[in-house]
Formats: sequence, structure tokens, C-alpha cells
Amino acid sequence: MEELTFQVIFYVFAALVVGSAALVVLGPNLVHSAFALLATFFGVAVFYVLLGADFLAGAQVLIYVGGILILLLFGVMLTHRIYGVALRTETIQFWPGMAVSVAVLATLIGIIYTTPWRQMGFAAVEGPTTASIGELFMNEYILPFEAASVLLLMALMGAAMIVRRRSDL
Amino acid sequence: MPSLGTLASLKYFLPELTLVLTLLVVVAIDIALRGREDRRLGVILISLAGLVMAGVFTLMLKEAPQGGLFSRMLVLDQFGLLLRFLFIVTAILILLLSVPSRELAGVNQGEFFALLLGVTVSMMWMANSVNLLMIYLSLEMVSVGSYIMVGYLKTERLSNEASLKYILFGAVSTGTMLYGLSLLFGLTGTLDLYGIRSALMNETTLAQAGPALLFSVILVLAGIGFKTAAVPFHFWCPDVYTGAPTPVTAFLSVGPKVAGFAVLVRFFFGGMGHPVGDGTWQIVGSVNWQALLIGVSVATMTLGNVAALLQTNLKRLLAYSSIAHAGYILMGAVVLSDEGLQAMLAYMVIYLFMNLGAFLVVMVVYDRLGSFDVKDYGGIWKRSPTLTIAMGIFLLSLMGIPPFAGFLAKFYVFAAVIRAGLAWFAVIGVLNSAVAVFYYMKVLKAMVIEEGATSDTSPFVLHPVYAVLLLVLLVPNVVGLVLWGYLDQITEYSMKILETL
Amino acid sequence: MIPLEHYLVVSAMLFSLGLLGVLTRKNAVNVLMSIELIFNSANINLVAFSRFVSADFSGQIFAVFVIVIAASEAAVALAIVLSLYRIMRSVNLDEASVLRG
Repeated sequence: MEELTFQVIFYVFAALVVGSAALVVLGPNLVHSAFALLATFFGVAVFYVLLGADFLAGAQVLIYVGGILILLLFGVMLTHRIYGVALRTETIQFWPGMAVSVAVLATLIGIIYTTPWRQMGFAAVEGPTTASIGELFMNEYILPFEAASVLLLMALMGAAMIVRRRSDL
Repeated sequence: MPSLGTLASLKYFLPELTLVLTLLVVVAIDIALRGREDRRLGVILISLAGLVMAGVFTLMLKEAPQGGLFSRMLVLDQFGLLLRFLFIVTAILILLLSVPSRELAGVNQGEFFALLLGVTVSMMWMANSVNLLMIYLSLEMVSVGSYIMVGYLKTERLSNEASLKYILFGAVSTGTMLYGLSLLFGLTGTLDLYGIRSALMNETTLAQAGPALLFSVILVLAGIGFKTAAVPFHFWCPDVYTGAPTPVTAFLSVGPKVAGFAVLVRFFFGGMGHPVGDGTWQIVGSVNWQALLIGVSVATMTLGNVAALLQTNLKRLLAYSSIAHAGYILMGAVVLSDEGLQAMLAYMVIYLFMNLGAFLVVMVVYDRLGSFDVKDYGGIWKRSPTLTIAMGIFLLSLMGIPPFAGFLAKFYVFAAVIRAGLAWFAVIGVLNSAVAVFYYMKVLKAMVIEEGATSDTSPFVLHPVYAVLLLVLLVPNVVGLVLWGYLDQITEYSMKILETL
Repeated sequence: MIPLEHYLVVSAMLFSLGLLGVLTRKNAVNVLMSIELIFNSANINLVAFSRFVSADFSGQIFAVFVIVIAASEAAVALAIVLSLYRIMRSVNLDEASVLRG
């Protein structure tokens, strides 16, 4: 029974993720695309939960949905004349792009199913991962952790500098 | 020496720590001195001081034992040390280049230098990373910093467009690279480059994983190709170089490009190859990586040289020229030997001084004449013979003509290729260099022979910082051939990459 | 349980869709959304491999950093888009072509 539940959840959310991603990429209305992206992000968070990565699922929702998606929505709204003109987007060179994309997908699926992935066995991951991830951040991965803070400083400074109107700051 | 933990690694980490500290101080001072006259001077002096100190610390690391740092995130070896020093020198030169720049005169330079420092630290990490996570993180740090620097002139349409093109193209390339890295992780189960190599060499199942390995490495090469502007990931290069402020263009052409090559070397030689004892390296996997690299190198240098022939905008011309030079540097990677590594290092060192010199002259001319078009370069010989002679030396060096250092660079690379038995490849390189002569000569011809577009014949007055820089950049080009032995010594010392951890 | 390949196929589809968006869309914000799809697909790969192939959490740690990097890139990208929009009143990539390849 539990087995079946997991499978149903997986297939439902897989369909959600792929369907909404298709809407993001193919949909004519930009605001619809942005909200479809919201659904994609949530679906990916569900996958993380299914894979036992609870901290990551939380981070995904907080940062992607709560941060990046809001930014993108601002981007959509601030760069269009909202009144009157429909928020339609056009596409260029659709069929060559589609051909490349399908070719890549076919190659990837072929690779996925013919490669003997070494699997350690599906050991049940007990409990929350937050403590282990926290320990790893402070021990093995402390350098990237601190480096990321420099990255965030640069990005923050840069984005603020580019967007602000006052030039004497 | 096994890998050091966090606290023990700190004392080998002084250059990077200094630079990060300088970055923070620059940001703080920039805010503190707001509105005051000495704001720019203060920021410049602090950045310069920080860079010089970091350079000194790097030199002090020469005697340090080689090994891993920070739990196998970074590695401390001679190859990385030379590159660290090179990046610091690059940053100092770019800093001096941007001080008198007309393009950057009206904008806040504090943040610019902070970004420059941040990107320099990240480039140093790129050259020393042996963990997929650290490689990707440092590569993205360099990229994000560069995107902002390219768009620094936010009121100029050209700068914004260049920045947008750069970030969109860059994000796609690095996203694709990330996908490839994830596949590599899936094949081997570890993020550590040396661990990946052991997994690829020992497991028999991985012999069956050929297509997956090929696909993932090609995707990773997408990201590296983007950073080094190699074909077919070079499309962003001409537009971004043309639209960015010229000091930033100069920086992009020497800094991130060389860092990209460092990642290429670490990835192929450290993560996928092992030395066979007689100075050559063997790359794991059943794919002919050498053929792939040869193909990319030939395509890159040919496209760069041929496209440059058609350009009249100096920045665009130098963009294609730098693409071509990336092709020559790749020749050193192709031969899969210690000699090839040495050739790459020698080329990268000499290329720094040649290319920056050319960009310096372009900047001086722009500051005086307001144009990057070769038509407006006429009559400069009469107005400033010094400038013309300097440009002549830089261009001759770029062409690879003796007795200038550029010839030495090309000699290293061609010799390594010939000694590896790929003489036909060296011939292609020579032919490409011959083609390159035409477009470099076009610029020189305009400066010496043609008449000026305007009737203004007043002599150029060089800003003192420009004059000093001109001298600093000319000297290596002129005496490079004479100091051949010295360069040989340095590069031979530095070509040793840490083989195993 | 759900086999590894299922997750990989979903992420492959996301990757291809993201690639399609990058190649065919004209609006800069739309291209940005497609880039986020690519990042998410790589993340699913990393977490799935961390679960099935590697004995530790390194894939998940990598995924956290990817989220951080994606956030900073999105912020910078949107800042640039906004800055360009102020000058050009449009973020159509066809019109952003004073520079020609």
C-alpha cells in the first residue's frame, strides 16, 4: 500500500513538473509562464522529499519560490506596459530549437537506460538530514560555504549598483 | 602530504584571505569616504596595497609542502602557485589601467575594485580547485563578477546589452556544465577529482559507461569552452568585448580566460588523466580526447583569425584575436604531456603582457580621439611616435615575430606539438599565425602610413599612469626572448601538477 | 521503490525543455525562467545520485550551493534586464541587437 502511494505521488508530481515546465517554455502568456514555474519549483521540492532530502526541500521552497520566483515576477511586471498590450511573447526559430531539444532528450534517455549506474542499495534514510548537512558545512565544506558568502556580497553589491537611480552613491 | 583540515590550511591561505579582507575594507572605505574628494584615491590605494600584499604572500608560499587544503577542496602545488601570482599581477595591471580611463571616469570605482578583487580571488580558487563543487562555485563567482563588471556603465546601451548577452549565454553554458558535472558525480559517486579518477580507472563497469562519460565531459567542456571563448562557445565574445568598458574587456581577455584554461588542465590532467612516467599523460576512458581537443583548437584559432580579418572596430578585432590565441594555448593542452603544460604556462604568461599592451594603446587612443574604429587611427605616428612604436611592438609580439616575446610563446607551443609527433597540427598553427599578420598589420599600417581623419595634429599627452603602464608592459615583450632561460625555469618549476592526493 | 532512472528521466525532460526555452524564446525574462529549469534539472540529478550512488550527502550539499548560485545569478540578471529596459523600453532579444554577432 505504501509502495503504491509513493508511486502515485511520484507520477502525479512528475506530470506536474514536466507539464508546467512545458507551459513555461511554450506558453504564450508571460505571467502564466511565471506561475507555471511556481508549480515546477514546488514539484521539484516534492521530489526532494521523496528522495529523503528534507532540508533541501525546505531550502528549495524558501529560496526558489520565495525568492527567485518573486524576483522573476517583478521582472515580468516591471518590464511590460501592463495596461492595454497583452503580455504575449513570440518565439523565434521554433522548429530547429525543437529538433535540438528532442535530440538531446533522446540521447539522454538512451544514456540513462544503458548506463549501469552503481547503486548502493536503497538504504532507508532515517530522520532529518539537517543536522548532518550542518555538520558537513562546518567541517568538510566550510571553504565553499565561506566562498559563497563572498559570492552573495558581490551579487548583492552588483545588482544594487546596476539598478539604483542615484548616481552619487 | 595528505590533505589538511581547516585550521591547518589557513596559514597557506594568506593570499586569498588578504584579498577578501581588502575587498571588505574597500567596500567599507567606499561608503565611509562618500562625498569626499579623496574617495577614489583612498579606494585605489587600499586595493593596490591589498593586491601587493597578497602577491608577497603568494611568493612566500613557494617553499610550502604540496598537498590538499581544506579537506581536499583546494590543492597547493606549483602550477597553482604560478597561476595565483599571475592573477594578482593581472589584477594590479587592470587596476592601474582603469585609473585614468575616460570610460570609467564618471562611475563609482569603489565597487568596481571590490568586484575586481572578488573575481581575482575566485580565479585563484578556480586554478586550485580539485573538487567539483569548488570548481563550479569559483567558476560561477568569476562569471557573476564579470557580468556585473561588463554592465558597469549602466547608462550606456552598449554596456547593458553586452552584459545581458553575457549573462544569458553564460548562465546557459554553466547550467549545461552543471548538468554534466551531475552526471559525472552519478557515474563515480564522488565530487573529488582524484576520487573520480580512481573510480574511472578501476571499475570495470565504467568501461561500459562510455557514452555517459563522453556526454558528461562534453557538457563540462561547454562551460569551460564558454570561459575560454573556444569554438563553438565563443559567440558571446565579440559582442561582450565590444560593449564592455575597455578596462573590463582587457581583464576578460586575460583573467577569466586563463582561469578557464587552468580548470581545463585540472579537469583533464588531474581528474581524468594520470602520468605515465615519461612525461606524458594518459586520459582515462575509451574516447579519443586528444582528437576532440585538436578539433576544438583548430576550429578556434581558424575562426578567430579569419573573422578578425573583417573587423574595423579595434575592440572587436582584439576579441577575435584573443579567440585565436585561445586556440594556440589549447595546442599546449592537446599534446597531453608535461612539455605541453609548460608551453601553455609560458604562452599564458607572455599573452598577458602582449594583450594588455594592445588594449592599453586602444584605451589611450579612445581617451584622446573617442573612437575605436581603425579608420580613426590614421596619422597617430605623427602625433605620438612613442605610442605607435609601442603598439608596433605589441602587435609584432601578438603576431609571433622575433625578437619579441610572442615569438617565444608560439615557439614553445609549436615545439611541444612537433615533439609529440603532430607536426601537421603545428603547420596549421603557423598558417594561422601567417593569416593573423594581415589584420595586425592593418592596424599598424593605419597608424603609420594613413592620414588622420581629423585635421587635429596636436601631439598626444599620455597620462602618467598610462606612461608607466606602457613601460611595464613593453619590457617583458622586448626582453622576453633574452630572458628565455628564466621563463623556462619558472614554467618548468610550475608545470608540476599535484598528481595524486 | 521508485528506481533511479525515473528521476533521471524527469530531470532529462526538464533539461531539454529548458534548452528549448533558451533556444526559442525572445523575451529575456522567459529565457531566464528556462535557465532556472536547467539548474533545477541538474539539482534533481545531484540529489538522486546522492541518494542512490554515493554513500554521503555530498550531492545534497552541492545542490544547496547550486540554489545559492542560481539565486545570485537571477538577481544580477534581473538587475541587468531592468537596467536595459529603462534605456530601451523593451526586453525583446531581437531588438537588443546594436551588437551584431
